[in-house]
Amino acid sequence: MAERVYIDADVLILGGGTAGCMAAWEARRTGGEDLKIVIVEKAFIRHSGCLSAGMNALNMYINQGKPEDYVSYARYDMCGAPIREDIMLSVANEVNDTVKIMEESGLPMKKKEDGRYLNRGKWNIEINGSLLKPITAAKAIEARAEIYNRVYITDLIVKDDACIGAVGFGVRDGKFYICRGKVTMLCAGGAAGLWRPNNHGDAHHRIWYFPFNAGSSYAMCKRAGAEMTTFEVRFVPVRTKDTYSPTGTLSIGMGAPMVNSLGQAFMKEDPHYVQWGGHTAPTPIRAYGFQRETIAHRGPVFMDTTKGDPAKVTGIKGQYLDMSPSLVLYWGCNDIDPSKEPVEIDGGDPNIVGAHAGMAGAWTRGTSRETTVGRLYVSGDALGGAPSRFISGSWTCGRITGRSMAQALKANSYDYADLEPALVDALEERTFGPLNNYLGRAKEGLWTDGTLMSGISPKQMEDRMQKIMEEYCGGRTRWYFISEPYLNIARRHIKRMRNDQLQYLCARDLHDLQLAWDVINRLDVCQLVVEHISFRKETRFPGYVLRTDYPEADPDYDCFINSKWDPETDEVVCFKVPYEQIVPGDRRKETI
Amino acid sequence: MPPKADPTKCDGCQGESEPLCEQVCPGNLMTLDKETRKAYCREPGDCWDCMTCTKACPRQAIQTTLQYQIAYFPGKLIPLVGTNSVTWTSIDCHGRVERFVMKTLVSPDDEDED
Repeated sequence: MAERVYIDADVLILGGGTAGCMAAWEARRTGGEDLKIVIVEKAFIRHSGCLSAGMNALNMYINQGKPEDYVSYARYDMCGAPIREDIMLSVANEVNDTVKIMEESGLPMKKKEDGRYLNRGKWNIEINGSLLKPITAAKAIEARAEIYNRVYITDLIVKDDACIGAVGFGVRDGKFYICRGKVTMLCAGGAAGLWRPNNHGDAHHRIWYFPFNAGSSYAMCKRAGAEMTTFEVRFVPVRTKDTYSPTGTLSIGMGAPMVNSLGQAFMKEDPHYVQWGGHTAPTPIRAYGFQRETIAHRGPVFMDTTKGDPAKVTGIKGQYLDMSPSLVLYWGCNDIDPSKEPVEIDGGDPNIVGAHAGMAGAWTRGTSRETTVGRLYVSGDALGGAPSRFISGSWTCGRITGRSMAQALKANSYDYADLEPALVDALEERTFGPLNNYLGRAKEGLWTDGTLMSGISPKQMEDRMQKIMEEYCGGRTRWYFISEPYLNIARRHIKRMRNDQLQYLCARDLHDLQLAWDVINRLDVCQLVVEHISFRKETRFPGYVLRTDYPEADPDYDCFINSKWDPETDEVVCFKVPYEQIVPGDRRKETI
Repeated sequence: MPPKADPTKCDGCQGESEPLCEQVCPGNLMTLDKETRKAYCREPGDCWDCMTCTKACPRQAIQTTLQYQIAYFPGKLIPLVGTNSVTWTSIDCHGRVERFVMKTLVSPDDEDED
């Protein structure tokens, strides 16, 4: 038995990232001085997660118009698809306040001569955001949240349809952590690494999304019995080739359009794309444009930076140093001068996210951020149905979640639940399962290279999972094409891995145990993705999922696809949930 | 850019309970070699290139190079972290040097301007 650490909190926050830190801050403001707020973080809070490399812009800011106009934009950018307009509006109403709070906390904002924030495009503002994460973490520290670093949460504890806490292990100390929360917030990011990355070997993680977000938010919600939404909308990044750095910096900063190898600015010139909105078409359509041009042998596809002002190149490099420094060196070591030659772009491995141009996550009640499991709240990438919140929207969404939790604590007499010793023992056994499995199986023999004769490493299992998803669930090398016969194979293998093969999963140390849990969680997310894509028998987001058996959008699927996992049968049961339009107007157009 | 630590500079952050690079790595990748007492990246392919360790190293022992599969040799990108800014030196594969000073925090000087 491992040494045990018991933690009790009024507000238990799992994940010290963009949303979690600001939730702590707002929970303190709303809940008062006596509230006990705990953040459990799997890495080190000052430098963890998606923000670790920094960011050069905030992509949600109401520069013009009203919050409703932003909701209309987010809806348009998802091809007019159903989004949770109630949630989006709640975020848009407060996002500008949040940015002000962060500026006051030390975030350097770029400004115009009139003192207003320097905008980049309609909804974006430029920042010097290389220290975005330490600045964000400082808000949690300011709120006197008790922070536990290097603790990996493995499962939520649910009793009578309510979440009463969570368990996990110390990545460094190997202790078993048992946390009880009067309310619990899960905000542990989205899911990278379900499909094969383009680069291999020592560049295996040179991918767009933060590779250490392994879908634990989604997997734990799913296992806790929460209703999940929109796992069929996967985000396919089309970014600078090899480094997967953002292209907005080029398209807006250098006025660079996407061009094919014939020099055609196809999004603007080809009527096939113009009907979708041209060069400002929804994100899935711009991904589709890249794919279609390449498949039609008009690749490679570039961002044409050569028509822009060459004097701007130095500034562009500086912007990349604030969020994706490797690109600057990549140009330097590939003889690329963006003012003289166009910058090649490529499609990357798909990602499951809730707050970028995707909207997978847990379904929530009204604007409370409470899931269908009582006292379990979500935010950031873990929250479903509300795309295009990005960083500033996730900060804001975190604040709203923190406030909502503090209000729920005032309105209800929630108390700590008693944990049955047998349950805690069972959770401990499960948490350390792969580690103990290694010790057991090591006795059965090792090969001369030191690997187990009768066990599988987390890396091997990840490779197998990525191969299945790549080849049968529309990976990059399959041009994102999917159809039911392929999905049936993916379903069979993912099921087999989850139900039959996990018994062989072995972790030889605590770092390996983290990787083992990453793959367990990713496999749960794969199951959600396969079932959701299979259920949506249409193509609504062409660049994200191209269903060759149902290539057109079908009005019957103009709704959310939600699901619930049945632990008895291991089936993910999908069903339709109607969409409610709040902001009036044509859903396939922006209001401004 | 998997981090590489220079053995002549890395001292394993003696006196710290764990080296700073190990403390900050979001992927739990930096660790101390038990025999040499120097830091290294346990799985270079798992690094996301966030450069947090490179910036955090008090002895500037960690260096950034690109994976050879995606870029030519040699070339370096060196961040020098100051109080309110970071100075980047980029040396391309022909030895050409570029320097960039990027603001990282609002400084007292900025407040005076306001």
